[in-house]
Amino acid sequence: MRRVLAFLLLAGLPAPAFADVGAVIDRHILPAYEGFAAAAESLAAEAEKTCAPEALRPPFNAAWDAWMQAAHLHLGPSEEKGRALAILFWPDPKGLGAKAQRALLTGDAAALEPEAFAEQSVAARGLAGLERLIYPSVLPEEADSCPLIRATTRDLARMAEELVAGWEGPEGFAQNLLTAGEPGNARYLAQSEAVQALFTQLMAGVEFQADQRLGRPLGTKDRPRPERAEARASERSARNLILALKALREMAVTLDGTAARSAAAFDRAIEAAEALEDPTFAGVASPEERPKIEELQKLVRQIRRTALDEMPPTLGVTAGFNSQDGD
Amino acid sequence: MKPIRLLSALFACSSLTAPALAAEPAAVVETYADIAEAVYADSLSTAQSLREAVGALTASPSAETLAAARTAWLASRVPYQQSEAYRFGNPIVDDWEGKVNAWPLDEGLIDYVDASYGESEENPLYTLNVIAHPQFSIAGTEIDAAEITPELIGETLHEADGIEANVASGYHAVEFLLWGQDLNGVEAGAGDRPWTDYAQGEACTNGNCDRRAAYLTAATDLLVSDLEYIVAQWAEDGEARKAVTADPQAGLTAMLTGMGSLSYGEQAGERMKLGLMLHDPEEEHDCFSDNTHNSHYYDGLGIRNVYLGSYARVDGSVLSGPSLSELVAAADPAVDAQLKTELDASVEKLAALKAKADSGEMAYDQMLAPGAAEGEALIMGAVDALVTQTASIERAMNVLGLTKVEFEGSDSLDNPNAVFQ
Repeated sequence: MRRVLAFLLLAGLPAPAFADVGAVIDRHILPAYEGFAAAAESLAAEAEKTCAPEALRPPFNAAWDAWMQAAHLHLGPSEEKGRALAILFWPDPKGLGAKAQRALLTGDAAALEPEAFAEQSVAARGLAGLERLIYPSVLPEEADSCPLIRATTRDLARMAEELVAGWEGPEGFAQNLLTAGEPGNARYLAQSEAVQALFTQLMAGVEFQADQRLGRPLGTKDRPRPERAEARASERSARNLILALKALREMAVTLDGTAARSAAAFDRAIEAAEALEDPTFAGVASPEERPKIEELQKLVRQIRRTALDEMPPTLGVTAGFNSQDGD
Repeated sequence: MKPIRLLSALFACSSLTAPALAAEPAAVVETYADIAEAVYADSLSTAQSLREAVGALTASPSAETLAAARTAWLASRVPYQQSEAYRFGNPIVDDWEGKVNAWPLDEGLIDYVDASYGESEENPLYTLNVIAHPQFSIAGTEIDAAEITPELIGETLHEADGIEANVASGYHAVEFLLWGQDLNGVEAGAGDRPWTDYAQGEACTNGNCDRRAAYLTAATDLLVSDLEYIVAQWAEDGEARKAVTADPQAGLTAMLTGMGSLSYGEQAGERMKLGLMLHDPEEEHDCFSDNTHNSHYYDGLGIRNVYLGSYARVDGSVLSGPSLSELVAAADPAVDAQLKTELDASVEKLAALKAKADSGEMAYDQMLAPGAAEGEALIMGAVDALVTQTASIERAMNVLGLTKVEFEGSDSLDNPNAVFQ
């Protein structure tokens, strides 16, 4: 391909858009969902054996690690039936998750049966919900949380399996992207639309890291909000950011192998995040530490600017609308 | 607005059977600015009627004057919701709109609430109840609220302590003061505030009726003055008008960015799908008044208005001019035809949802209930249609060679100039 491109450039012809949708699916998306399905299955299996928090924390963390490989993909099966929302419902500024879980802890056990549980509020389910059950949280300690823990882990495993099934196979969503522009594909009317869909996920994913994972705890200089960091109880705030940035970097270089400046921008941000050694971003409220976290946010925003500058000419598309465009 | 607009409206009517004339970008953004001016002027005039009705309610509280104020509020939402397609593409509108349409709100900031309202982990002002407290502190600062003024509401209370849920001004604050909390959960029924909440003297219910009336009056005054501001931005020499007409390509980008961002992230996502997935009637956009079905419908209509360059005003007249649709059709007729079909489809789906709620068979609250299959189908039908049209809005941008405006989330809050960079 590189040689063809060079030839076209030499011949003075316009360079073709080059983006590897197939590679993103095979090397990034499908392995991410398969990894999450395996981790969610192990978590559910462990929860069948015991509800002891100490025993559940390792597989819980492994499952959350695995989800960070796919959390930025807001297209296809993850957008159906509220799956992505349920798997990780964050931020939750109104505390809807804890409120709904309180009702489930004390209410009719029938709501915990798999089919009924799948119908419950997305805020009450998933990783953030499970974190409140196996780490210290606002939920009442006296209630027997084991049935809810098991319902939550089973539900996670079910959704993870549905994601894999929804992407793979002859009817899977991957085919939608791969057959973009072919007759009968009503979703993607040209190959460029599939490329744009993926590039949009990438850009929205980076934006989420800067605005939410970092922006929420940063608050303002006068009013830092360390309590708003994600996953403080399990001390995963910085870990989630680092894993997400690494996953997004992988997606970027798989989509466009020539995006060297974007890759370098990712590397600078990842390096800064790893150097922080502040698992919950508690430093946002400290005069010495805060500038480092502000700088990290700038580096993450810089990734987006760099990628928006560098990648569209190669890909032949720019970012489209994403699910976070609202306020 | 210039008289020439009326002329072009006549042409538009008479040219139905003529072949589509190639619209010029400059004329298309002119129509866009004219519709903005008209839709905000209609929002203002209906808000002024609301202000009069609020005056009547506070002067002589009764079941009738409360009902009349509620009717005026509902009427004021019809044009305003159609203006929302202007939000996301225009920084002037986006920076302003939080004053008038912020949502969802922690209403306990403003007035008394039911015990079921509970507590908030994130908002220390969750149950501040300004109406009951002439003095209080916000983040360590003592506040004198003896007199409730538009300034107190707009500058001190709104988004107090940097928390977005502290909505003290705008349509939804007024809505809460007219209807009260909707305590029916996922059952039918809106808020049921008694008119005696505004009765003075012995008949006053729930205390502090004088301060409640003062809050309602000040909040409605503030709504009117905020709308005056935005109308001026779109008038002949207004900044928002200039921003889209000075560079027509930037204006076209604003049009399509506004359509796409409202369709997908905001309307389909944040307002409709999220509420359904949470099964939480608090997530209804107009939750106190149970007007959410209308609010969704007129948002959808507003998106189509922008594309077709046509707006039916509250007085029944139609304002129209050279449209984005004509421009896209000249570049790629298939993209235009598909987008028009899809915009019609989303308006139709939203109309079906509205018809169901209006019929009294099923309130929007009930559509959100866990396991409410029919309600879920109605809501998801509209969500899917809105998501579908977003792809064609992207196609329209592509055929016109435009790129979506990048507002960088909180950058616009931290650094107002960032959005122009």
